[in-house]
Amino acid sequence: MQLDWLLQPLLSQLNSGVLVLDAELRLVFINQFIARRADLQPEDVQGKSLFDVFADVPQAWLQRKLQGVLALQVPAFSSWEQRQYIFKLPHLRPLSSDSQYMAQNCSMLPLTAPDGVSRYICLLIEDATDAYVYQQQLQQSVARLQLANRTDGLTGVLNRSYWQQQLSYEIQRAERYQHPLSLLLFDLDKFKQLNDRYGHLGGDAVLVALCARVATLLRDTDLLGRYGGEEFGVILPETDLTGAMQVAQRICNAVAGQPMHYEQQTIRASVSLGVAAFTAGQSTDELIQQADEALYTAKRQGRNQAVAWRPVNSEYLKKVK
Amino acid sequence: MTALHFTEEQRDCLQELVNVAMGQASDKLARYLATMVHLQVPAIKLVDTQQLPQHFAQRYQQQSVSLISMGFFGDQGLRGEAIMLYQLANVDVLARLLEYSDDDSSEAEMLTDISSVLTTTFLNGLAEQLDNSFSYAAPRILSSRDQHFADKLAATAQQWQLALQVDIRYQLTDYSFHCDMILLIPGEAVLRLRQMLDQILANF
Repeated sequence: MQLDWLLQPLLSQLNSGVLVLDAELRLVFINQFIARRADLQPEDVQGKSLFDVFADVPQAWLQRKLQGVLALQVPAFSSWEQRQYIFKLPHLRPLSSDSQYMAQNCSMLPLTAPDGVSRYICLLIEDATDAYVYQQQLQQSVARLQLANRTDGLTGVLNRSYWQQQLSYEIQRAERYQHPLSLLLFDLDKFKQLNDRYGHLGGDAVLVALCARVATLLRDTDLLGRYGGEEFGVILPETDLTGAMQVAQRICNAVAGQPMHYEQQTIRASVSLGVAAFTAGQSTDELIQQADEALYTAKRQGRNQAVAWRPVNSEYLKKVK
Repeated sequence: MTALHFTEEQRDCLQELVNVAMGQASDKLARYLATMVHLQVPAIKLVDTQQLPQHFAQRYQQQSVSLISMGFFGDQGLRGEAIMLYQLANVDVLARLLEYSDDDSSEAEMLTDISSVLTTTFLNGLAEQLDNSFSYAAPRILSSRDQHFADKLAATAQQWQLALQVDIRYQLTDYSFHCDMILLIPGEAVLRLRQMLDQILANF
């Protein structure tokens, strides 16, 4: 059976791009897949250099690969996973992809003419946009899940497990580089009364407003997390006890100084804060314990104040226990 | 499994074919990479795929290894998968080897590119020795700088019965570059390969 007639219709209907280059990397042939997407007439580009016709391909890299195909007579490949595209071609899913160009798998195949001497290269281009789009969506989902996994659903600040993990990293860093590090724990005063008076939704609204207000007083590197129901923590890297007390005082003033609003009602709230500075050799639990003791002292001394941990605090607590 | 093992004659014959293919590859690569490429006579070993992961886990103790796979298909049912193992401190070696400028290609791309060049150049030669020819699937990364590469190698090797382990050490003039290549071949393909080797031995 004579099959020569088959070649042209097959190449023109093929759902992959076919480009044939000679040994000088001049275009010998492009099929309709390429011609239509690149808006070229096959007869116009014949004999022209690949890099003249497609001026924006990564020339140095592609030339090196094509030289390899010619010199070694072995195929070469390029995957969208490593290089999203070689040729800037449009794709048919403009709405679902964030890239305007077709993601491509490319095979570069060595060809020898029947004369046994003339060498050619066939570039086979496959549209991998679907795979690319799925991968992008997957990555976005993973990123969203990771974010959800480390934030507190109500207030949007870090949740306890992630916050505490970060605290242990910061402690390791402070230990290794002998840098200062402070911890601040604070608690909304008389939260139970707020809840009784304004309802749980009112209480929630206060927590959300509190976090928003505190966040504006912190640096980007400070880490605010929800430690318990109405108890929060702030990790202050590169900060000694004096600096941490200034931050604590600022938070205390900002909360008490301006009322919060919930459904046309004005809510006055205040916080008590305990501050502790990291000392070499201390564990995460020990540092939290110190800040917690200072917080307890602030509560006992009448609330709406910041207290720095002092050894005497714990001596006193031990005695009363 | 024993049914798949090679006789001593078959093994020697294959070693000889591999040597010739490696010699040709070495010559071509030296010209392409424009540097002295010294390839040691590869030690080939036929091993049970079950033992492979343990073997390589021992060799690269606790170190991170990149695994690149490339499938190949020949005539008469000859097919398999070539695995390259790299342990690289940095990718500068690869970039210089490939003459890529540093910011042009990612580490992943350089790894797949060099794997493709090394694998196909050698396998084309081997196919020629067997009076066959191979087509290839695009290389893919099984594991990138991964300490758990042995698990991934195990998962890949499980599909195949016999592995032809070819250790290649590439010595280049100003730096040393080392990688291991393993050819994984399924049972039926091993039987075909044995027939081809017997044919060659009969004509010798």
